[in-house]
Amino acid sequence: MIYFLVFFLSFSLNAATIKVGLVDYPPHIDFKKPLNDSKLFHYINDVFKREDLQVEFIQYPNKRGLLELKKGNIDLLLPYEEPEESVKIFSRPLFYSVPGLCFTKDKFIPILSALRQFKGLRVAIPPGAPVVSVLRDSGAILVNMQGSDIINRGIALTQFGRVDAFYHPSPLKVYYSGIKRYKEVACSFFHGYETGVFIAASPKMTEKKFNLLNDIFNNALDKLSYEYYFAR
Amino acid sequence: MFKASTFFLLIFALLVASIPSFADDQKTKQVVDQISKMYISSMVFLFKQQWLINQKGGDKSELFSTKFINNIKAAYEEKYQEDFPKAEHKAQKMLLQAMIEVMEDNRPILTDADIGFKGVIPATFASQLGRKLAIKGMGLKIKFTRMKEGIRNKANIPDAWESAMIEKIIAAPKIYYDANAIVDGKTVYRHFTPLPMKSYCLNCHGTMADNPLNKGKDEAQWTNIDMTGFEMENWKITDFAGGISILMEKSSLK
Repeated sequence: MIYFLVFFLSFSLNAATIKVGLVDYPPHIDFKKPLNDSKLFHYINDVFKREDLQVEFIQYPNKRGLLELKKGNIDLLLPYEEPEESVKIFSRPLFYSVPGLCFTKDKFIPILSALRQFKGLRVAIPPGAPVVSVLRDSGAILVNMQGSDIINRGIALTQFGRVDAFYHPSPLKVYYSGIKRYKEVACSFFHGYETGVFIAASPKMTEKKFNLLNDIFNNALDKLSYEYYFAR
Repeated sequence: MFKASTFFLLIFALLVASIPSFADDQKTKQVVDQISKMYISSMVFLFKQQWLINQKGGDKSELFSTKFINNIKAAYEEKYQEDFPKAEHKAQKMLLQAMIEVMEDNRPILTDADIGFKGVIPATFASQLGRKLAIKGMGLKIKFTRMKEGIRNKANIPDAWESAMIEKIIAAPKIYYDANAIVDGKTVYRHFTPLPMKSYCLNCHGTMADNPLNKGKDEAQWTNIDMTGFEMENWKITDFAGGISILMEKSSLK
């Protein structure tokens, strides 16, 4: 049934090209490397091409990508992790991001569920970051961080001993940031506090087209999840 | 006479009708048994490979992707003295894929050449794996659990069925199974495998004398904090260690 629907609707889309905006989200989409090296690019390309849909990828800085999506200049934007009402998202996430803490290696705490270690720990919190409840209630001293370059700033604060760790909503980004100093820190994760990272659709997209693309994506996930595609 | 023959016919029809359901239950029991063994084998492998996991540098490829699964297969065959299942059922495939995903999630720390103890131990792996399966929403849930009191990871607190099974296991250790449980309005298979306490469990959960961090130190300097940062529980080798609880929605079997 889904195949018939997809065939019929994709035909009715007049063999349209889907415009997909990509934002930097290493290691899944890494602007420091050729797009061809990004697994998420290949996964999405395969998902839609299998259904005979043409895909055009355009790379954007985060805010610009969202703006273009809202204007309707692109159909989809990914990876997308800050859902807001005016933006539609596909029903299932592409993958999950897990928040965590990054330490200098001599102070590394590998298992964050052992909360007794947090008492008196000074933790830098990036501006606007949603801190997980377990950290907020742990007895750690939370210090507000200034500035926007949170990875560089966080590494500097830990190295100078101003804090014991810095919080990051997705420490994997620290590891894959391309900043050489990432090797000076080690990060651990608040497992159980993961949030979905999605594909966002333009608010100008018709319901019919949205449902079609969402169904295609769900069908692809059932056959081969992106997380497994990335890890295998 | 008519009534008697109708009655026997009805009984016969009921028996015949119940055969596929019985066969389905047996098949499911086998699939879930194998899932439980796969899960336990992954924990066994990770325990045995703590030296590799915590080694600073070196080749860690045995911990990832297909090599990792091959190692779990070998651990399974060694432990249970039977062939590793073909993993044809989608729940089994999903489990093996999730195992690869969990190790990949841990890659940055596993390959960190400066960190010794990395915290990738059987319990944390099991917990991450259970969480990954749960959020995939495919109808398979696995939990490494024990009595509510003193449980370290709140996500592993047992539900009412698991608590009841734990009580039964303490009285009579064996695998317990419920083919027709209802959870959140869905019919599910439930399965609980007890795990025996091993001496290595006591490294973290035993007494201060069991704590490897205290080896070679004067008793006055001993700590009751284990290497993972938790307070040790003073368990003994004869205590109940915990068990593997599996929940599989019947709809996921179709």
